[in-house]
Amino acid sequence: MVAVKFIPQILAWIGIVLVLLRGFPGRRSLVTAASIAGFTLGVAGTVILFRSFSGTTPFGVIKSALGVNFLVLWGFAVTVLYRSSGQGMTNWWEKFFGSSLCAGGGALLAGVMAGAVSACRFPGADATAVALLLLVLVAGVLALEALAVENMLPASLTVTPAGLLSIVVSLLLLSASSLLRLDLFSPLSMKVMKGIHDFVHQFMESILVPDHLFVRSVVWKYIGFLFGKEVGFWGGIIIWFTPALLITLAVGSQRLPSVAHIRQGAQRRKLLSDALRSRRLQMVMPLCSLAVFAAAAYQSSFPSVEYWDPKPVAVTANQSGEIFIPKQGEIDLLDGKLHKYLFKQGGREVRFFVLQNPAGQLTVDLDACAICKPDGYGQAEGSVICYYCKTLIPLETVGKPGGCNPVPVHFTEKADGVAIDSVTLINSWDTTVKVTARGKEGGK
Amino acid sequence: MMRLLRASAAVVSSRAVTPLVIGFFFLLYIGIAFFTDETLISLMAFTRRSVVLAALLALIPLNYACRIVRGAVKQRAVHRIFAGKSADYRSELFDETVELCVTPSFRTLEMRLISEGYKTRRSEATLAAWRGIGIFPARMLYLAATFCLFAGILVSITTRTSHRQMVIEGEPLPMADGSGGRVERIILANATGAILSRTLTMEVAPSNAGHGKRIFGLYPPSLYGGAFVYPRYLGLALLLHFYAPDMPAGYEKRCILNCYPPGKEASEVIPGSPYRIVFSIPEPAAGSDRYLSYMAENRVLRFKLLKGNDVLFTGSAPGGGEFAQDGYRLAFPEIRRLVVTDYIGDYGVLFIWAAALFFAAAVFIWLPIRAFWPRREMLFMSAGDVTRACSRAEGGARRHAGVFHEALDLVAAGQKQPEEADKTLSL
Repeated sequence: MVAVKFIPQILAWIGIVLVLLRGFPGRRSLVTAASIAGFTLGVAGTVILFRSFSGTTPFGVIKSALGVNFLVLWGFAVTVLYRSSGQGMTNWWEKFFGSSLCAGGGALLAGVMAGAVSACRFPGADATAVALLLLVLVAGVLALEALAVENMLPASLTVTPAGLLSIVVSLLLLSASSLLRLDLFSPLSMKVMKGIHDFVHQFMESILVPDHLFVRSVVWKYIGFLFGKEVGFWGGIIIWFTPALLITLAVGSQRLPSVAHIRQGAQRRKLLSDALRSRRLQMVMPLCSLAVFAAAAYQSSFPSVEYWDPKPVAVTANQSGEIFIPKQGEIDLLDGKLHKYLFKQGGREVRFFVLQNPAGQLTVDLDACAICKPDGYGQAEGSVICYYCKTLIPLETVGKPGGCNPVPVHFTEKADGVAIDSVTLINSWDTTVKVTARGKEGGK
Repeated sequence: MMRLLRASAAVVSSRAVTPLVIGFFFLLYIGIAFFTDETLISLMAFTRRSVVLAALLALIPLNYACRIVRGAVKQRAVHRIFAGKSADYRSELFDETVELCVTPSFRTLEMRLISEGYKTRRSEATLAAWRGIGIFPARMLYLAATFCLFAGILVSITTRTSHRQMVIEGEPLPMADGSGGRVERIILANATGAILSRTLTMEVAPSNAGHGKRIFGLYPPSLYGGAFVYPRYLGLALLLHFYAPDMPAGYEKRCILNCYPPGKEASEVIPGSPYRIVFSIPEPAAGSDRYLSYMAENRVLRFKLLKGNDVLFTGSAPGGGEFAQDGYRLAFPEIRRLVVTDYIGDYGVLFIWAAALFFAAAVFIWLPIRAFWPRREMLFMSAGDVTRACSRAEGGARRHAGVFHEALDLVAAGQKQPEEADKTLSL
């Protein structure tokens, strides 16, 4: 069963080694050895990280490293596109890409990242020395298998340095997207949504556009579209795919060789035809990386994890405006699970939940945060997840305000239950959540 | 010194400058995003405060200004060569340049090129051929638009000032030096435009400071005293008389109520007392305009009187009317229209508007030209035993290259033994 969970990591690892071998054809032994060494280092480094830091820090470090990889890919893509447009630049980097240092270093780094992501797959206590050793062993065997398979690929299938980087990074991100805590696409979409929201708001303020009360509702709906989740998703998609697209475009727009000095038409046509064929083959890897990026985005958007998400139970307030929820009864508030409630008053609706955190303290929170559209939370192992932006919030921090944490609500803990002031609850929802829902889809 | 200046000019006008600067700000944005959710606002604040960041941002308009100059110089050089006014040939002006050791007669070649749809100009030693329309004007407009956009952003970020004021009907337009004329009327009316559903007009009488009669609308906002008058929200200015059993002397207050749209609550505290009054505009009947009460002369205010946290009673009264209950009395002798207005001191807005116009014009020109009539040029110059042939295309490059190569074949075939000479490529 554990092996099944490793399928994305295994596939990504085989792909990475294959592409590295094809990218550095003259240095096959070096690439194989460096990638296996890198994988081992990555696994060992991750184990050290987990033993040195508690909580989400190790995941944060590895996720940041993946983010840096993606940024490097972006920079590289822009650079190759710039070069393809014929801007004069030195060829020092072409020499660098042909060197052993680049082949060995690149394979080592790719191995480290692949090893680190794979090691994160072991949940807590499963990370025994034997299991880790087995992981490294399997990775080594697969790398040697890839060495044999690479021989069978057609010789004409060449990889440009940019294409190589594109496919390696896409495979690493695919590998990471199967782990919620390492996934980059969902947080990226969330940041893009916030970024676009801020940008549109600032832009409209900058050019002194009248407020919505003066603007036709249909026009405002179009503007409101820019504040929605879909824009975050599609904006994230654009940022996600753009590096691979730019690299494909750069390969596709490479200048054909000058044939003006050749006086035989047939020779000219042959030279151009060869150049066009070579250019098309070089586009295969960036195009493949687009497919891998798509798979990673899909994996991120539809994670194969089930959450504890009970149907909200309707509650009412007494004459003094107090909502009382007993600790024991049909629902046991002290079972460590998230319990959702729905309070309705005068056409207003508030969703909230009660949860006992791992420290044994009860907390009452809105089923929404102050940033996202109020899609609510589900509970997974050791954390709750914001359905809107897929951010995982450790159970220890539920009840604390800020970021994408559920908005805490003031309550009184009594011996037999919790008491919540209905006005406080409604005001809390109105002042924080309604603002985030405005212009979006009106919530769940 | 000249070499240093030339090198600096080359660096500043390089096409790499803008992506590098934008990339830097993008990385900075990502870095800030780790620490705050208000990333864009923080980045703007940093740029406003930091001379280094502002200077870095200023590189972009500077880069585009240099590129406009460089583009114009290049275009002039090409134009002069094709017009036969200059023989100042430079390979970087063309996509492809070839030298053949032949001395052809250009007459046959000219006929050939005319049959391919090219226009020609022939002299003894040169033959220029071209077809289509150049995208130079569109390119200049695009460069100018980008210059204006980033110059506008720079000016806006570094110099923008904003002061929120209440423009009240019947009172002087609030200005820092008190020089505003009296606001004669504020008119909110329904509009039939494609974008705006309502129009807002603020009529201001001539002021003692020499400002003439002015009428301020919504868009584009007008400049007054060096600042844009930017109407934001609607409200009411209320003259309130309040009497309570424990306040028999009563209390009078001019209240600013930011109470639109209807239903929105605006709270007023009676100083030195436990009383607080929460005002709102009643929701209009279904199907009628939500801002009807603002447009009409007779406005009704709903209120809720609180003592501490206890609601004593609720009620409503029209402008000029009053409400009394249990020894309390609330009177609204005067309710005037009010517009919450921002005074924006920001000339960057003008640049951004200009950028929008230039971008639209550039696309309007570029799109049909690029799609249907792209410029394609070739030039043959003969000097001694050498013929130099140059070619460039702004679109349809493959077909143009085919014609160019055939033309070269024709030139070479005119000689007994055409000898390949030097070949250079312009990047």
